[in-house]
Amino acid sequence: MTAISDRPSAARPPADAGVAMPRNRRQTELLMLAFAIVVVLFAYASTGLGLNGKVPAGLAEYGLAFAVLMLVAHFAVRKFAPWADPLLLPLAALLNGLGIVMIYRLQQAGRNGNAGNGGPIQTLSSSATAVQVMYSAIGVAAFIAVLVFIREVRVLQRYTYTLGALGLILIAIPALLPDSMSEVAGTGAKIQISLGGFSIQPEQFGELGLAVFFAGYLVAKRDVLSLAGRRFLGIDLPRGRDLGPVLIAWGASLLVLVFESDIGTSALFFGLFVAMIYIATQRTSWLLIGILLFVFGALLAAKLFSHVGARFTEWLHPFTVANINCVPGPAAHCVSSYQLVQGLYGLGAGGILGSGLGHGQPYITPLVQSDFIMTAFGEELGLTGLMAMLLIFGLMVQRGLRAALAVRDPFAKLLAGGLSFALALQIFIIVGGVTRLIPLTGITTPFLSQGGSSLIAIWAMVALLMRVSDAARRPAPQPIQDEGMTQVVRAG
Amino acid sequence: MNRALSRLSLAVLIMFALLLINVNYVQGFEPSSLATKPGNARVFEQQFHYQRGSIIAAGGGGNVTIAESRPAQGSSSNNTGNTTYSRSYPYGSVYAPITGFDSVYGSTGIEQAYNKYLSGTASNLAVHNLVSLLTGKPKQGANVLLTVSAKAQQAAYQGLQNDGGHQAGVVALDPTTGAILAMASTPTFNPNKFTTLNGTKFDQIDKAYLSDPAQPLLNRAINETYPPGSSFKVITGSAGFSTGKYAGPTATIAAPQPLTLPNGNQLNNDGGEQCGDGHPPILEAFYLSCNTAFANIGMKVGGPTLQQYATKFGWNDSTLTIPMQVSASVVPRVTDKSFTALSSIGQFDDQATPLQEAMDAAAIANHGTLMRPYLLQSVQAPDLTTLAKTQPSVLSQAVSSQVAGDMQQMMIAVTQNPAGTAYQTAGPPTVGTLVIAGKTGTAENGLTNTATDDAVFTCFAPASDPKIAVGVIVKGGGFGAAAAAPIAVKIIEAYLGVKQ
Repeated sequence: MTAISDRPSAARPPADAGVAMPRNRRQTELLMLAFAIVVVLFAYASTGLGLNGKVPAGLAEYGLAFAVLMLVAHFAVRKFAPWADPLLLPLAALLNGLGIVMIYRLQQAGRNGNAGNGGPIQTLSSSATAVQVMYSAIGVAAFIAVLVFIREVRVLQRYTYTLGALGLILIAIPALLPDSMSEVAGTGAKIQISLGGFSIQPEQFGELGLAVFFAGYLVAKRDVLSLAGRRFLGIDLPRGRDLGPVLIAWGASLLVLVFESDIGTSALFFGLFVAMIYIATQRTSWLLIGILLFVFGALLAAKLFSHVGARFTEWLHPFTVANINCVPGPAAHCVSSYQLVQGLYGLGAGGILGSGLGHGQPYITPLVQSDFIMTAFGEELGLTGLMAMLLIFGLMVQRGLRAALAVRDPFAKLLAGGLSFALALQIFIIVGGVTRLIPLTGITTPFLSQGGSSLIAIWAMVALLMRVSDAARRPAPQPIQDEGMTQVVRAG
Repeated sequence: MNRALSRLSLAVLIMFALLLINVNYVQGFEPSSLATKPGNARVFEQQFHYQRGSIIAAGGGGNVTIAESRPAQGSSSNNTGNTTYSRSYPYGSVYAPITGFDSVYGSTGIEQAYNKYLSGTASNLAVHNLVSLLTGKPKQGANVLLTVSAKAQQAAYQGLQNDGGHQAGVVALDPTTGAILAMASTPTFNPNKFTTLNGTKFDQIDKAYLSDPAQPLLNRAINETYPPGSSFKVITGSAGFSTGKYAGPTATIAAPQPLTLPNGNQLNNDGGEQCGDGHPPILEAFYLSCNTAFANIGMKVGGPTLQQYATKFGWNDSTLTIPMQVSASVVPRVTDKSFTALSSIGQFDDQATPLQEAMDAAAIANHGTLMRPYLLQSVQAPDLTTLAKTQPSVLSQAVSSQVAGDMQQMMIAVTQNPAGTAYQTAGPPTVGTLVIAGKTGTAENGLTNTATDDAVFTCFAPASDPKIAVGVIVKGGGFGAAAAAPIAVKIIEAYLGVKQ
């Protein structure tokens, strides 16, 4: 033996010290949260200075309100999910705060003597910031409610089919409503329910319901789905009758596409399902089937529905004068790429370091406060800021996947894995779309885009991920040695 | 399930990597190409959101700002982010042919030629821009300092304005460097009218200027050519001496009145006057401006050789820029003897810009060496460091120093000999002890010579130590000595500070 192994280990704790309790990392969370709040406040102050050379009025009040809101969330986590991941809440707070700052900045656009496109953005009401702050508060309330009422993720498994049905209904409602109530102005997408000035996009919540349904269903059927079947060309093919649920999910996503003209969400739902079935079965064949179905569906849709084909044309030929100046209509032989190119011009104008908050012209891009908000960040914070925000998103997805890996309960594992992947996919679809990596399909940017439904749903999702990570990181109760043969077995 | 989750994590990693690579490409490598794509309103608007550099006349008489950017009206001064600047030209139309204008629909003149400095996009301003960005200072363009002398320019502008509405152009050069001291054109325009940020208003003003038959936007100093008339005898004389066909100013020349050309036509001196004794020294023929004498010289030298010498003085060069493009002054290659005779006295198809007239005199003044004319003295970054500077360069050796001396002697006689054509207007009666060396020109105008003659004067001063060379052409002005010379004299006096 070597000399090293003969030495007594210095690192070994003394025998009488007992087993050290793992730390729950709540102090780290508080510190990171304080940092996130400070970054948001500086961004807010910087916006005011950039717009009119003054620190915006109400910096202290808004700052205090935002800090209190996030601290309430933090203390809820201390009380109800003390072992949860310490990074998820600060990351969510930072993104939510920056989103509010950008809405505020866009709401102020042109108010202070801009040449040319002076005046506020027409599609952004003068109370947009206040409304967004209110939605943030509701989002945090939803976050706390999830933590309070769902003490174990497993309880959701009982409501697999209920939540699945609810999810489908939520998604289907806008398609059944008249256009005047369900269409998002200027986009042709029928995805909202608007009543008396307020509107919600139910699909955002429907996505959560479907994720729970997929997780519950797949946990129950995963053995059948992963074991039964024939081997063909080195690939394990599932049985024909087991294809049913995949085809149903595929059909549902196509329905969203056809009846609600919402390509992005359609792709997101299908991607979510394929990812979850792959996690559940670990069979590559399901992945291949899913991808083939997606490609087939996309090509079919591009052929059959003009609005899908137009997305491809817009992606391939955005800079032609005809497309930029296109007035869409039944007889038009062009596709309008104006919004896409203005977003790209904004990114180009931002360059490496950006123009600085309040110094750019993001208001030129139509509906920049919604799908294109990342181009506003890219213009004013530059490549540097855009990369930082993508990394924040990436870190958030990674924490979710980490919780999924660590948790033992298969239902929780599936749900956390699926939701994390859906978050990544959503960011990929929208950021890839506005930066012309892939064809542009309208979908909200998590945390940043204006609008309440998306914000509330994403906070609820973060709460679910934190619940899962709480379960994953919670130490097993200390066995009491004196009780002889009794042993605590961790449930899983 | 963890194996699948790990693989999925890898897929997520790839997705984010793709996004990051793509934004790096779009924002790191594509901005310059995106900036030139159709419909990019940001670039269009941005040019009015920072302070464009000033244009400064720095060629003597103090540094005078002739174009600057000021915060536009209605844009509050504490509004650091979105101040809109508009261009302003404090001297109105005085410097219009030099500065040109900068507008929402593009720019002309120096504004266009040195836009990259004025707008701050030149590559050697990149470091400075970065420092401004980091220190929070607003972006600012660089200042462009011109060789123009405020005193000379003011005199040139006034001289043309007081000339009774003729179309005219004038250029003054420093013969030793080629620096342009003054450049004026009339009728002219007011660049302040183009600075409106309102596109519709711009269109109206632009249309009005373009439809004006007087062509106020045309810079006659460098972009319009006129028959040089007798001022071309400077070239003919130089060719005669340089080829050795004539020994010098004292050599005699046959100057009959009239001269019968080989094609049978008769060539007269101005007013049909005798030229001395009909066989005068070339010097006398020069200061009397005898057409027949120089027609004889031209015919002896030959058309192609005459053109060759003219080219050495900068004629027939369509590539010259100052940095604005200069129209070529033309001396065609004439082989027919009769036409050569006409060409050698600045008629037939000879065409010259006022700049060319100034260059002719400058070459003679500078011992036969023609310097390249230029406007840019230096470029000054906002922190007052010099970014670029023009080094004077030789355009060509027009004639030998000895021939230049001979020509100087003859040009001095034009103003100093009581019989010289410019004795009254540019000689001792007007300017006292200052010696101006020059040559008048009175070019027949119009196909049938029915219109009033064009007046031309090319000169330099002081004759003993030339500091300024001037070329003036007044379309329809009449006699060169009467219409053009006084303008040149005013510029010279203003620049040299002889008379206030």
